[in-house]
This record gives sequence, structure tokens and C-alpha cells, in this order.
Amino acid sequence: MESIITQFLNGFSVVAILMIAAVGLAVIFGVAGVINMAHGEFIMVGAYTAAVVGQLGGNTFIAIPVAFLVVALLGLVVERSIIQWIYDRPLETLLATWGVGIILQVVMKLIFGPELYYVGAPKILDGGFRTIGLLPFPWYRLFLIVIAIIIMIITYFVLFRSDLGLKVRAVRRNRTMAGCLGIDTAKVDMIIFAFGSGLAGVAGAVLAPIKSVSTTMGFPYAVDSFMVLVLGGVGSLWGVVAGSGLIGEAETILSFIYNSVIGKLLVFIFIVLAIRVFPKGLFGYHERT
Amino acid sequence: MNRRKFLKNSAVAAGTAAAATITDFPYFFVKRYAHAAEGDTIKVGILHSLSGTIAIIERSLHNAELLAIDEINAAGGVMGKMIEPVIEDPQSLVQVFAEKAKKLILEDKVVAVLGCYTSASRQSVLPVFEQHNNVLLYPTLYEAQECSKNCFYTGCVPNQQLDDFVPWLIENVGPKFYMIGSNYIYPKETNREVKALLKAHGGEDVGEEYAPLGHTEFSTNINKIASKRPDVVFSDLVGDSVVAFYKQFRQFGITADDIIIGTPITTEQETAAMGPENALGHLTSFNYFQSVDTPENKKFVESYKAKFGKNEVTNAVMEAAYFQTHMLAQALEKAGSTEADALIYEGLPGQEYMAPGGKVKIDEKNHHTWLWPKIGRANETGQFDIVWQRDDWVRPDPWVDLLYPNKDCDFTNPSVLERLKSDSKDRSGTFELS
Repeated sequence: MESIITQFLNGFSVVAILMIAAVGLAVIFGVAGVINMAHGEFIMVGAYTAAVVGQLGGNTFIAIPVAFLVVALLGLVVERSIIQWIYDRPLETLLATWGVGIILQVVMKLIFGPELYYVGAPKILDGGFRTIGLLPFPWYRLFLIVIAIIIMIITYFVLFRSDLGLKVRAVRRNRTMAGCLGIDTAKVDMIIFAFGSGLAGVAGAVLAPIKSVSTTMGFPYAVDSFMVLVLGGVGSLWGVVAGSGLIGEAETILSFIYNSVIGKLLVFIFIVLAIRVFPKGLFGYHERT
Repeated sequence: MNRRKFLKNSAVAAGTAAAATITDFPYFFVKRYAHAAEGDTIKVGILHSLSGTIAIIERSLHNAELLAIDEINAAGGVMGKMIEPVIEDPQSLVQVFAEKAKKLILEDKVVAVLGCYTSASRQSVLPVFEQHNNVLLYPTLYEAQECSKNCFYTGCVPNQQLDDFVPWLIENVGPKFYMIGSNYIYPKETNREVKALLKAHGGEDVGEEYAPLGHTEFSTNINKIASKRPDVVFSDLVGDSVVAFYKQFRQFGITADDIIIGTPITTEQETAAMGPENALGHLTSFNYFQSVDTPENKKFVESYKAKFGKNEVTNAVMEAAYFQTHMLAQALEKAGSTEADALIYEGLPGQEYMAPGGKVKIDEKNHHTWLWPKIGRANETGQFDIVWQRDDWVRPDPWVDLLYPNKDCDFTNPSVLERLKSDSKDRSGTFELS
């Protein structure tokens, strides 16, 4: 029983990891309508940024804003040079961003070499605190939960409580009408693409100390993030919360009862069934025509 | 002697003289020269991925083999000829391995190939080597249970990594084992033998679990491990999972003083990537560590760093790649011929070499290698302190007696030789004891 309760706590940290990884993808997908296949690689670039910051003597707290800026800038460059020309052609954005992902992997390998990189956790987040379970709960995982909540709150304010957010939502509802009313829709797309990319960078920076850092690390995060979006529903922050919550808790509990392989399998089956019942996801946004 | 032949011969003579004076030059000079004197070199294929997902490890093997070839050529080559490496990049793709192997054998006419890392790539090229009767030298530790006339295996097989390690752990650490591995053939086969050894030596198996390849979220597994309270976590996780598992293990407050991780996988490369603080005190079983204190190893580590960078580390698979290249040179010298059958029946079997990790020998019967098992404890610099080593070398046993008492492989057995001769398609030396 103790173990099950600890497992529930662990689940929160897994949920937090999923939320951190998925929110950038959700923002870009939900507003700009682009399925960013390079999302995993953006996370990877964020993790390498954290590795460089670490080698220069900084820690995760410094790496978070640096990774946000670096990857937001990268997103901006990608958007201006490639995506802005093909917004209305979803299939081509899919292929183009996939290509960007492959290019990023190769470029990072050329710069940093193929070996795994070391990123440590900040000293003050070493160790953990006692709970009712057998093991102490690591401070770093608590930190991840806090970061996930902060990111969700910031994203909420950017999208729902700011001038920019108002424009963003107007563009999302009806692009043509928003344009007619004087909103520069191209600029909104650009800013939101950069913002979403920056969030992926933050994900890379905070996940690096508990995972391994290599040029191929991005793919599993991209898969997890897509699962969260598909289940939770596209374009809704609540969707991200619900999707991560269900997948994260289900996977930790099922992995504990059975094992990791079966846990993952059952979660995938569950997602397929869920899409059958809610084709737009649990919190899918319904187009008004 | 006609004019053309005279010109050719004198060019060769001039070239040989030049080679003797430029042996200190970097490798590409030697290679360029070698191309100029086509036909007067012995071509050896090098088949390791230099791009793609497993390039990380395979490039280091490629480097170790080139280093050995440099050393061989600097010492005068083989049978008076220089060795010319023919390099192919199979891009980490299993099907490309077979294509490139075919190209090396048929187009470049190499005498042997040094190559492959994963079992999947070896299994895809083996039929090519068997069909065209060429020689593959394979440096990786692997799950064994294989035996081919055309392949020589210079890495550890499970009996060399486990037969001493598991009883040592039971005696010095504790009897309760929890096994965790990546979900594919190598960990499953390894754990089968670990379980047999636990049974034979009074150990206890308190859990066994597999994670999907590339899995990096281990909080659940660690929680399960803690609830079972084992003495040893026996890990056959590979790739990205290794680093993530060790990091998260310590973040949950478990150190080597509480539960020791014992593994046949984690090398100096992984301890560097996870940070020495996360590996501290955990145990690895191998036939070689960078910290091995022999003059041969000192020379190997120093020349590797001088050639490829001072931050490079060496590991067991690299050591095998290095010594198998030297053994191939000795075998060519011994056989006095570049024919595949001469290498297979005379040159390579029984070949010995003073490797960095101790003197090694290719077994005459099963084409695997006699090695010196060691147990290393990771220290605060990410290197391994050797806490135990065997005082003699250990015979490779591709079909472990504990699990397969009646199966063996013997290329010296007359009936097997007879079978190989009569059936040109049969390349396996296996037989069942009655």
C-alpha cells in the first residue's frame, strides 16, 4: 500500500514531465495550426544549451531562461525562413518541420560530436524529502512539478490575460475576420511559433539532469507529446493537463502493477479507444462555422 | 623483363623505400601511398557505422582498428607488405551492412573484415561472409549461442562475464538479486544465465523486469526495486536507458552502500555521460578497464589519446577491436597466405596476443576468445578500480554448460570438418553431444 501511494506521487512527476514536454507543441499546433515534427529536436537543442551552460559554470536555474531564448530564436528563424511560406499547406509543414528536425540532429552531431553529454542537477536540489513511502521523494522531481505549474500559469496568462493572447485567440477562431479587423496575423503566428519553441527549449533544459542528453534524445519526447495532444485535445491548455494527467498516472500505476512494457501497451490501447469515443480529444476545440 | 613490368617493379621498390621513411607521418599519407602502389598492399576491410544512431560507439572501434593498423605498418607491415584499410560506412542500417560487406569482399577483394557492433548487423553480414568464404572479426560482447566457420569473435561471451561475477556478488554483496534489462534478446538471454547461476550458488531472484529500448523514466522501477529490498540490482539496460537509470537511482536517495548495481554493460563512456557521482561504487564485470595496469595498456591508452584527443576514454570493446587487428596481422604472417581458408584453418585458431587487458587467445574449437574476467568498482573520477580479477584466463563457452549441457561447437572435430567439406552450404561447427 505504501508503495502504491509513493507511486501516485511519482506519477505526479511523470505528469509534470509530460506537461513540460507537450505544452510547446500544443501552443504551436493550437494557434498556428502547424504540427511541428521538429518538436523533439527543439527539446534536444534546449538540453544541449543546458549542457553548455553547465560547462561554463552555470546551473539549471540559469539554463532555463538561456534555453528559452536560444530555442525561441531558433524557432523564429525556422518560422521566418520556412514555415511562413507554407502555413496553409498542412502536409508540407509536416514534411518541412520533419526535415528541420533531421537537419538539427545532424548539425548538433557535427558541433558536439556523437557522444552522450553530461548535465548535472543543481546542488541544492540533490537528495529528497521523506514521505510515507519507502524512498525519499527527490527534490528535483518536486522542482519539475513546480516548473510544470509555473509554465502552465505563464502560458495561461500569455494566451488568456494579455493583449497578445486576445489577438491570438481571435486569429485562432477566425483568421480572415481577425485580419479584416486589423490584426497582423502573420506576426501573431511568428510570435506564437517562437514562444512555443522557447517552451520546448525550457523542457530540454529541465529534463536534461534526469535523462540522458544525446542528439537522438528528442524522438521519444515528440511521441509522448503527440499522445498527450491526441488524448487531451488540440489547442486547449486543459487538454494538455488532462492528457498528461491521464497518461502519466495510468502509465506509472500500470507499470507498477504489471511492468513497463505492458504499462505502455495498455496506455496506447486506452488512447486508441479514447480517440474512438472522443475524436477531437477530451477537451477538443469545436470549430464554429 | 619488358619495359612495362620494369617500370612497375621500380615504382614499387621506390614506394616501399618511401614508406619506410614516412611511417611517422599521419595516417592519410600512408593511405595515399598505399593507393599508389596498388597490388602491393594487403587490403583489410573496416566496417563500422560512422553515421547514424550507433556511430557513437562504432566510431571508437573504427579508431582503435586504425590505430592498430598504423602500429602494424610502422613495424614493417605483414609479409613485407603494408596493410591498407578499406573503410566503409554502413550508416547504422542493418541492410546496408550486408551491401557494404559484399562490396568489400567482391570489389575491393579484402582478405578479412574488421567490423559490426550490434548482433543484428553481425547476423545480416554473416551469410555474405559464408557464401563468399571470407573472414569477419567481430569485437563486441554478445549473447553467444552462435558459431560460424567464417567469423572470429573477440569480445566477451556470457560465461566470461557472469560465471565469476554472479557468485562473487552473492558472496561479497548479498544473495538477493533484482534484474532489470532492456527489452530485447541480449538482456533476456543474459538474465536466463544469471538465474541459473543464482540457483547453483544459493542466490535468490526477487524480481525481473524489462523496459522498452530507449526508455528513460525509471521512477516506477526504482520504487518497485525498493519495495523488494534486494542486495544487488543486476542491470542489462543499454543505450540511453543506462544513464537515465543511474541518475534517477541516486536521485531517489539510493547509493551503492544501500543497493549495488552490478552490470556487464556500463563502461567508462557511460560513467562519463552520467557523471561520476551517479556511478560511484557500482560494479561492472568486463575483461578490460581503462585503469588496467599493464605496460601494453599504458601504451594503448597513450597512443589512442595522442591520435584521437586527450579527453577520449577507452573501453573493453575498443580493446577487442584493437587486439583483433593485431591478431589478424599475426595470423596472416603465420599462414603465409591471404587465402581465406589458410586464415580460417591455420592463421587465426590458437593465435595469441599480449592485449592491453592481458594475454588473449582465439580458441581453436569455437573461434571465440580466451579472456581475463575482472570486476571494476566505479570511483569518483568515473574510472573503475579493479576490485577482483581472475588469476588465469577463461575459456569462451558459446553454449553455457548450465543451460545447454549437450550443445557445443568444435571446428577441430573430424566429423564437423567432414561435414563442412561435404556440404558447401554448411558453415556452422555446432553439434549435439550424445
